[in-house]
Amino acid sequence: MIAYNSEWLDAIKLKDTAKSWHENGLLDTEKWEALKSQKPSGFYSPNIFIRIGLGIFCLILMNAAMGLLALTGIIDSEAGMSAFGIICAVIWITLLEIWIIGSLHHYGSGIDDMMLYTATITMIGCFYINFPYDAGPLSYCWVAWPFLVLGSIRYIDRLMAAAAYGCTLLIVLFTVAKIPDVALYLLPFSGMVFSAGAWILARKGQQRSALRHWHDLFIMVELLSLLSFYASGNYWVVQQVGLGWKELPVPPMGLFFWAFTFGVPVLYILGGLRLKERLLLDIGIAAVAVSIFTFRFYHHVLPLAWACTIIGAFIFVAAYFSINYLRKHKGAFTYDAGDEKVLLQEIEEQLIEQLIAAPTGKPEPPKEGFGGGDFGGGGAGGEY
Amino acid sequence: MLDHWLEQAAISPEEAEKIRLFETQKPFSLHWELKTLLYLGVLLLNAGLGYLIYDNIDHIGHAAIIAIIGAISAACFWYAFRHRKPFSTGEVESATPYFDYILLLGCLMFLVMEGFLQYQYQVFGTRYGLVTFIPMVLFFILAYVFDNRGVLSLGITALASWLGLTLTPHELLAKNDFNSHTITNMGIALGAFLCAVTFISERLDIKKHFSLTYLNFGVHIGMISCLAGMMALGYPLLYFPLLCIAVGFFLWYARTRASFYFLTVAVIYGYIGITYMIFINDRGFEIEFYLFYFLFSCIGVILFLTNYKRFIKKVKP
Repeated sequence: MIAYNSEWLDAIKLKDTAKSWHENGLLDTEKWEALKSQKPSGFYSPNIFIRIGLGIFCLILMNAAMGLLALTGIIDSEAGMSAFGIICAVIWITLLEIWIIGSLHHYGSGIDDMMLYTATITMIGCFYINFPYDAGPLSYCWVAWPFLVLGSIRYIDRLMAAAAYGCTLLIVLFTVAKIPDVALYLLPFSGMVFSAGAWILARKGQQRSALRHWHDLFIMVELLSLLSFYASGNYWVVQQVGLGWKELPVPPMGLFFWAFTFGVPVLYILGGLRLKERLLLDIGIAAVAVSIFTFRFYHHVLPLAWACTIIGAFIFVAAYFSINYLRKHKGAFTYDAGDEKVLLQEIEEQLIEQLIAAPTGKPEPPKEGFGGGDFGGGGAGGEY
Repeated sequence: MLDHWLEQAAISPEEAEKIRLFETQKPFSLHWELKTLLYLGVLLLNAGLGYLIYDNIDHIGHAAIIAIIGAISAACFWYAFRHRKPFSTGEVESATPYFDYILLLGCLMFLVMEGFLQYQYQVFGTRYGLVTFIPMVLFFILAYVFDNRGVLSLGITALASWLGLTLTPHELLAKNDFNSHTITNMGIALGAFLCAVTFISERLDIKKHFSLTYLNFGVHIGMISCLAGMMALGYPLLYFPLLCIAVGFFLWYARTRASFYFLTVAVIYGYIGITYMIFINDRGFEIEFYLFYFLFSCIGVILFLTNYKRFIKKVKP
């Protein structure tokens, strides 16, 4: 089912989890060392910067190779173009499967990512070329859908999962839009229902140990479902769709959508704090900002400069007092930095670690991601 | 999920119980959310106040505006001064969680105030260099005293604009041409200077953790200036060797300091330079030649990058 060696994937994840136990003093050093040597993983997962570089150069290389192939004169007709697309996709997928993953054991190296994306794009593209001119958007989505879903399942790639989610959502929306008479009324609600369903499935999927390899993909789907749920009922989105499609200046049930625009962010934030769910909380905070923009789009209550100043001051003061409060009251919430890392934090840490730890010549403990493949193919460091 | 990992790790029941307890009771960290909000608040406040002044420049009393902005700025600096930790040449931890943000707000407010003074009263007359020179000095001092990399970045930016402003009018008078030569050469010199600062600070053991900020500005300013010299000014034979030296320097740096960031950056800039040299050398090659060039050069670069472990010297434990 998965292209990568699943035992090694398990080993990486296990060592990641055990590392936080070890750092919190729940696992003695002896056990931790034993665990590290017992669970080897032979992936090639370089540091994030090497990954970016490899990705860029792999992309240029593949384009040059496809350019050379195109020069052989294969693309002289529409059928030739399609054949060209299929040939390229097959070549890239075969190389990826047999060589890059099969014998070189790349995992998140930049090369495997780019090969997968290029193969998918050429594959889908070869179908699009032969499409009749009157083909509706729905058929475009249906053609892309199986490749995106299969790609994300087999190569556990988050970007593919995101594309697959977007594609599925579009299929639902375009299908609903075809229903006569009531389509406009159903659209926001179908978006909401679909997102809510996806959210529940993604949450369930994250807890199933049989689906542990796709854990990160479920997180991606959860994130997107929260976004699309809010977007489905946001007043601005609803109003613009109504205006552009049916020329309705004011959408029906405007009051409901206003309530939704302001209610959902609050629900997200409260839910995030209650469930201790970071995604809900963060998206809730972002959604509050979007709601404010939505409101200002229709009602010019304050000049922009005043709004910026007042909101900025308010946010600053609110954050100031929250931090103060959290530092004085120990409880379920804390201001101390947690051990979960976000992408930016990871990059910053790597940057600082490399430039500050090395010159001082201090005996730094070998960190994950530093040597790239010291163990676990970089573990947490190689994840992004 | 937790049970699965506990089982895989073959952990004894007592320990597993401890871990379970820890996982259910560990507090939920709001660190990044609150930090982001602080940052956002500072930016919005600054943008709002700056725009407010711009908007109402004729309505409100000028003295009042300066007084308010100056008071905010002064209050921020006073806060930073009150809560500062003793100076050290090494890294100093922030005294309070909001310390960095309040200092940043103070610096940005200072810029707004200064800009207003110049706009309204021409305090500095036509000595535009001075307008950037004062914040530059202030920011560098603040960055070192309060040990703040964000303010250091502001200082380096002010340094770059000060150099640009002081060199440009002079050149304009002398040659009456569009002085991009000066800017390019200045960029290269500045890049080299920033790299030199890094090494001097490390030798003297002053704020070694500022290295990244200096080098990061240095590498991009220097390399982009070299590329600009090659492409925009049309002196590839002059600037290409300079680019090669810069790339060589950063490759050496990456090798000795085990820095993946500078390795990738140097390789990308170097590749752009070499590719440009091949493309301008137009001998009427067919398109196949260029495609083959990309094909083989990329294979070469990828082989080099994938074998980074052999290239980079391991830091000895």
